[in-house]
Amino acid sequence: MRKVVYLVAMLALASSTYADDALTDADAIVEKANIASYYAGSDGRSEVRMIIADAQGRQQRRQFTVLRRNVEEGGDQQFLVVFNQPADVRGTVFRVDKHLERDDDRWLYLPGLDLVKRISAGDKRTSFVGAHYFYEDVSGRRPTDDRHTLIETTDEYYVLEHEPIDPSSVEFARYATWIDRATFLPMKIEYRKRADGDVYRRVEVFETEMIDGHPTVTKSRVTDLEGGGQTDMQFRFIAYDIGIPVDVFSERSLRNPPGEWLQRPVNRE
Amino acid sequence: MRDVLTRFVTERPRTVYTLVLLVTLATAALMPRIHIDTDPENMLPASQADRVFHNAIEDRFVLHDAIVVGVVNESHPEGIYTEQSLGALHALGQSILNIEGVIPPDLMSLSVADNIAQEGPGTIRFEWMMRDAPVTEAQAQAIRAKVERLPLLLDTLVSGDGKAAAIYVPIESKDLSYAIATEIRELIEALPGDDSWHITGLPVAEDTFGHDMFVQMGISAPLAGLMIFLLMLYFFRSTTLVVAPMLVAMATVIITMGLLIGMGFTVHIMSSMIPIFLMPIAVVDSVHIMSEFADTYHGDADAKGTIRKVLEHLFQPMLFTSLTSAVGFASLLLTPIPPVQIFGAFVAFGILLAFLLTIVLIPAYVVRMSPDALAKLRQHSDQPRTDTPLARLLRRAGSFSIRRGKLISAAAAVFVAVSILGVLRIEINDNPVRWFKSNHPIRVADATLNEHFAGTYDAFVVLTADTSAVISDFRAAAKAQLQVPGDATTAPIEAALAADAADANAWFGNLIAAIDDAMFEAVDAATSDALAELMASAEAAQSRSRPFQRPDLLERIEDLQAALMESGQVGKTNALPDVVKIVNRELHAGQASDYRIPDTTGGVAQTLLQYQSSHRPQDLWHMVTPDFSSTAIWLQLKSGDNQDMSRVTEVLESYLATNPLPQDIDVRWAGKTYINVVWQDAMVNGMLYSLAGAFVAVFVMMSLLFRSVRLGLLAMVPLSVTILGVYGIIGWIGKDYDMPIAVLSSLTLGLSVDFAIHFIERARTMLHADGSFRTAMHGMFEEPARAIARNAIVIAIGFTPLFFAPLVPYITVGAFMAAIMALSGITTLLLLPAILSWAGPWLFPAARRAGAFNTQAADA
Repeated sequence: MRKVVYLVAMLALASSTYADDALTDADAIVEKANIASYYAGSDGRSEVRMIIADAQGRQQRRQFTVLRRNVEEGGDQQFLVVFNQPADVRGTVFRVDKHLERDDDRWLYLPGLDLVKRISAGDKRTSFVGAHYFYEDVSGRRPTDDRHTLIETTDEYYVLEHEPIDPSSVEFARYATWIDRATFLPMKIEYRKRADGDVYRRVEVFETEMIDGHPTVTKSRVTDLEGGGQTDMQFRFIAYDIGIPVDVFSERSLRNPPGEWLQRPVNRE
Repeated sequence: MRDVLTRFVTERPRTVYTLVLLVTLATAALMPRIHIDTDPENMLPASQADRVFHNAIEDRFVLHDAIVVGVVNESHPEGIYTEQSLGALHALGQSILNIEGVIPPDLMSLSVADNIAQEGPGTIRFEWMMRDAPVTEAQAQAIRAKVERLPLLLDTLVSGDGKAAAIYVPIESKDLSYAIATEIRELIEALPGDDSWHITGLPVAEDTFGHDMFVQMGISAPLAGLMIFLLMLYFFRSTTLVVAPMLVAMATVIITMGLLIGMGFTVHIMSSMIPIFLMPIAVVDSVHIMSEFADTYHGDADAKGTIRKVLEHLFQPMLFTSLTSAVGFASLLLTPIPPVQIFGAFVAFGILLAFLLTIVLIPAYVVRMSPDALAKLRQHSDQPRTDTPLARLLRRAGSFSIRRGKLISAAAAVFVAVSILGVLRIEINDNPVRWFKSNHPIRVADATLNEHFAGTYDAFVVLTADTSAVISDFRAAAKAQLQVPGDATTAPIEAALAADAADANAWFGNLIAAIDDAMFEAVDAATSDALAELMASAEAAQSRSRPFQRPDLLERIEDLQAALMESGQVGKTNALPDVVKIVNRELHAGQASDYRIPDTTGGVAQTLLQYQSSHRPQDLWHMVTPDFSSTAIWLQLKSGDNQDMSRVTEVLESYLATNPLPQDIDVRWAGKTYINVVWQDAMVNGMLYSLAGAFVAVFVMMSLLFRSVRLGLLAMVPLSVTILGVYGIIGWIGKDYDMPIAVLSSLTLGLSVDFAIHFIERARTMLHADGSFRTAMHGMFEEPARAIARNAIVIAIGFTPLFFAPLVPYITVGAFMAAIMALSGITTLLLLPAILSWAGPWLFPAARRAGAFNTQAADA
């Protein structure tokens, strides 16, 4: 199966060099978008600044570093998320082993309680540390969780509709994505709670940059159109293919974050 | 002036009719603009400090008005923890989310609640409490087990006894509550099972009240009008005679209400009573005129001339009774409750309008009467009506009061003394839910839900720390620190420091980001070190600006919660420490011993970071602001009575007196239950001012009218005895002093003084005319006493339809109207002559000098 997808992806990549030769297979587009969004390089780092604003505009800040390593492109991945700001939560660490064939493994370290805790698979559509982003937005939703339909191909975007295969596991009934035809980065996603309802949640990309040869999102926003409020994310000090060793993604890193890999790549920006 | 007016109206009756009709129609045309206001909050002016604070708190903690839907199952041993009941609750909760006007993210119900729990050793689980309805008994029991571990939900979403559950439906606007409640009722109809459902909550109560108020105005007030009409017909036995006062009353009510609505005032519970108050007062003067006209008119005489004479005769007492009644109501302007002020002002206006309409409309009506009608009227007045039971009773009462003057006066003194004791027992208390009758669905829902839950009435203790000093201190210190590097890289830091710090979180966030960026740019070690130092102090200051993450302060809040619980009035409190303790317990081993506040600020902050990783991170902001400088303790009270709320505020006050919080923390109350206490206090004090002000004003007016301070004092006797008597009765029977009761004092003042004015004025005239106190008193207990008695009876009985009103305040007013009329009628007709019998010579010095009392002495 994965080989087929890979083949399709390769074909798609080959054909995209011809400007008017647009893709027509929704699954292939989604797969490419998945790779572009979450699998750039064999590993990578990024610093994230998050500004969470409620409906009244009251702000909370978060700043954290994400280290990522692909076990297999388009497949399993490892993440380490280390919090730096605000100071009260500094040293809080999430470790995620993302699996395609089974539930992800997630761990948590809270320095203030000196506590390592495993987080049950459960529901991935909970808020990520109070932001309007969900856990699933951070680590990526499995393409196989939805049925995809290509609605429209414009000059710039593939416009797709997605319906969950298991509607009871998510809060939305459907969502639409606008995928950039050149970069395959989803530039806008709109969620609806009812198939015929209004958009209640929107993810938008405001800025992208070419980093180490990979088109990369550097500014994005989630807006809660139902309750009000939004979260802005700014990605900085991004680097790919830096050779993060596998043991960085071990339980040891929860209590002892890998300082070497968390430091900013001085010569890269 | 008076004569010109009388001449005009008797010469140009058609013009008068047309004018009055036009004004009435014009003001009636304004009525469709009616806007009903039933929000108890509006008892306070919009600028009142507690109300402003309450509204600020609703914004600060994102609190909405909510409809409360309750479900109770008493029959099943597991209560509502069955597949059937939970299934119904789940189905209803999901359907409600789709109703227009509901705020889905803030709906509270088991079906949208989040659960945090252990899943095996070392594993924590975040999940929906009841994402899907349970299909087995075991699943239902599992939900029970989860709920019972979460103190935030237990006794709020499900009752402690497991027999009841609730859905709190936040709504965008109170105006939608009726429509939304109706939709919910329809959804409930379609639910299977044997659960009993209840809908309550302040917005529903207010909307229902508004609806019932319309019913009241549409049915009770016209019914009262009809009753008055029939009674007058009974007394005067002439339709023509009685129609005129009814026209005056209707025109008065329509013009006054039309103006009130047209001027943009809302119709509040108080102003909805204006028609009821105006009708009797408007009728009274016309009855005096028509009564005297019927008595003095003889077939051969000229009707115009007779009515002019009657007006000449009655103008002054009518003007004064109108002015004094108006003053009684206008005094309500001294009460700082806008609806009471509007009520007072418009009733006062209506009384003066009724006076004007009486002196223009009644003469115009009389001169337009056909010769036939006049002849009939004369027939009626020729019939001897002096042997009716009422006439005989009055005559006996008159002679009794003179003979036993001292005894009656002494009895009245005893009555006053007993009344004063009663007044001292008065309990000041109100609760808008109690404005409904006890069998009203809202009262039933209120009683049922409060029996099961920790309480459906909420109030908030809001703690707010002043963190402005933290920021200003840091600004000053940072400027000094920045002197060291002082190159271009620090410009963004300086800009961040100078920025507006209204949102402390955003301010520190920007500042720390700027320092962080500068540290990356720093080229030498010295700059790096200086910036690192600045960063450390910025972070420390940021932490200080978030006091309610501090474990010591959270522990203080816990103590405060415990003290509030000890008051016995509080069913439950929910506050930030509860959130922290629950999450901390589940992050640890889930044991009871883990249910505690972490030792460090970081521990608290990280615990809350986990709470925010739920499905409902926004719930945190109902308890604390995102900058952690202000926090709210939610109180659930089983009773919305002001007295109970007041007891809780006293408990807090005395607790804080012995256990003060740090100086920079301000403690204040908010919440609707508390707001009710505020306006109640304002009303009680305001009423005292109003009553005192009116009392003095009426006394001065009486003294001027009678040109005698002594007679002025005498005129105050009936109303003083009546007011004391009425409130004495309220004290003795234990009826709470609430808003309708409070305004009765002005009604009493206004109506009782009328009787006194008529009595004293006529007595004085007769005394002068007859030259003998004895004969004068005999004369008094003929026509004058009958007029007073008739008026009292008409008003008292005229308002019995209010007993059938759907709302308690109207019933109260109806009942006390009767009591007031009876008391003031009795005091006027018994006590005034009784006092005159022994104090007459002192009260009427001129008559004494003329020898009016000598005959009495001789007779005795």
